[in-house]
Amino acid sequence: MCCSHSFENEHQPGTVPEVFDISAVKGMKFFDPHVHMTSRTTDDYQAMADAGVVALIEPAFWLGQPRTGLDSFRDYYSSLVGWERFRSSQFGIKHYCTIGLNSREANNEALAEQVMELLPLFIYKEGVVGIGEIGFDDQTAAEDKYYRLQLDLAREAALPVQVHTPHRDKKRGTQRSMDIAIEHGLAPYSVIIDHNNEETVKEVLDRGFWAAFTIYPFTKMGNQRMVEIVKQYGSERIMINSAADWGISDPLAVPKTAALMQQQGISAQDIELVTYRNAITAFAQSGQIDETEFTSTIDQSSKFAGNSILRGGQQPRIDKSSIIIS
Amino acid sequence: MYTYDIHALNQLLGSIIQDNTPPDVFAWLMKQGNSNDTAAFNAAFVMMPRKTGKAVISVKPEQITQLNVTRPNLSVEGWTADRLGRVFLLTLADTTDKNRYVKVVENLFLAGEMNELVALYSALPLLAYPDCWVMRCAEGIRSNIANVLEAIMYHNPYPAEQLSTDAWNQLVMKAIFTEKHLELIVGLHERNNAELARMLLDHARERGAAGRDVTRELWNLAGQFEGAGVINNLKQEYQLN
Repeated sequence: MCCSHSFENEHQPGTVPEVFDISAVKGMKFFDPHVHMTSRTTDDYQAMADAGVVALIEPAFWLGQPRTGLDSFRDYYSSLVGWERFRSSQFGIKHYCTIGLNSREANNEALAEQVMELLPLFIYKEGVVGIGEIGFDDQTAAEDKYYRLQLDLAREAALPVQVHTPHRDKKRGTQRSMDIAIEHGLAPYSVIIDHNNEETVKEVLDRGFWAAFTIYPFTKMGNQRMVEIVKQYGSERIMINSAADWGISDPLAVPKTAALMQQQGISAQDIELVTYRNAITAFAQSGQIDETEFTSTIDQSSKFAGNSILRGGQQPRIDKSSIIIS
Repeated sequence: MYTYDIHALNQLLGSIIQDNTPPDVFAWLMKQGNSNDTAAFNAAFVMMPRKTGKAVISVKPEQITQLNVTRPNLSVEGWTADRLGRVFLLTLADTTDKNRYVKVVENLFLAGEMNELVALYSALPLLAYPDCWVMRCAEGIRSNIANVLEAIMYHNPYPAEQLSTDAWNQLVMKAIFTEKHLELIVGLHERNNAELARMLLDHARERGAAGRDVTRELWNLAGQFEGAGVINNLKQEYQLN
């Protein structure tokens, strides 16, 4: 992050960082509304399930290098609603996604045109809870064009929009994203502005949009800063996510931040809103989230009462503490 | 192009859907069969659960009997309404232009999510031009998604009717590897063969060497081609039951 001052959670010399104690969040449940699980391992899924993550949203994004053809987009979207969703279910985590053309690849106009034709085949699929993540990266004319076209698509399909705000020239890019969403007839209440910071949050909330915060080491929000934001702005229309991906990131960012909030006196109700309920309220506007489909407990033996067969290919756990692998 | 009476089948599936959905949903569905308007056909296929819901359908005894006459060995019991709706939609598609028809259906496979794939593979025994789906069926058997495998393996007459011996043997081996209920596979004994028996006994040796057991059904299948002496020796050598 280059454009905003940072008061990242830095430890004083000589002090030891506190260890995350999973028992601090025992019994709590979490919804991570932005996490790129295709880039993560089964160990991450297991750790998230253990820490109480019961559901998540995987936004369609950039894979770290550009795709060169339409089939790559189709296979990627297809994996988000297919294999990845199934993989998640093996750990008892309900997997949703948002589908969209990310801002970086909007700059390849010839390909972007074809992707726009492909999108209707995916946005009406079950469990697609929005158009996302779309918005600005470099803030080019092409990014502007495909952002607008996808906002129109979202309006027609009555889907929420998950807006990625740029790393560079963030404040201006965030304002512009909101201006354009309103210009295209979207209700601010159906638009989730992501990757906020101390500099953007006030305007986002004042204008009636949802403000999402990404807890991501080094480049986005630290969770100590997040606690301060909740103290200042409360919990209305605020949600947090990990945006864990192929970079150095933390898929336990949501439960860890909940633990920190609890430690520092944020009320249980506010923690629940920021780490679970608000994301559901926002994305359930798609009509595609059914909370009864979440498995509220991570105990696999009781998950499917009265049925000894693990459903949907769900894997039995292995004992990682044992040196024996059988 | 169809190996069965498509009109009788259409009527029967239509009546089951009518019994299980509100009148407006049924009326909507009956208007969606124009596969020459590919975008609309795709959209109808994809948004099926939004229209029909996902409740498990109820099927009357006479409908079960009738289905077994029209398309033997196919069962729709335990299906959800969206699954049946999607399969029904596919049976409405225009089949006059073979290339076009195959392309439309193939395209649904390419973009399919799990529940869509379950419906698509369930529809294999009902699709026109049955020989066109052999590779697709073999591809489905490579899936690691349990529900998709079950849609191909359970109460589905297509694999036994159309797959080559090699592909059939892969289906049975995959079913054993993924711990499926072998007794639900249509044609399990009819398609049994000496090569499969050899593979099954090799598999039993591998399992035995690893200190793991095998499903009992394996011995029944192998026993149709291998002598009791061979099997008993193998069981003894590897301490298998």
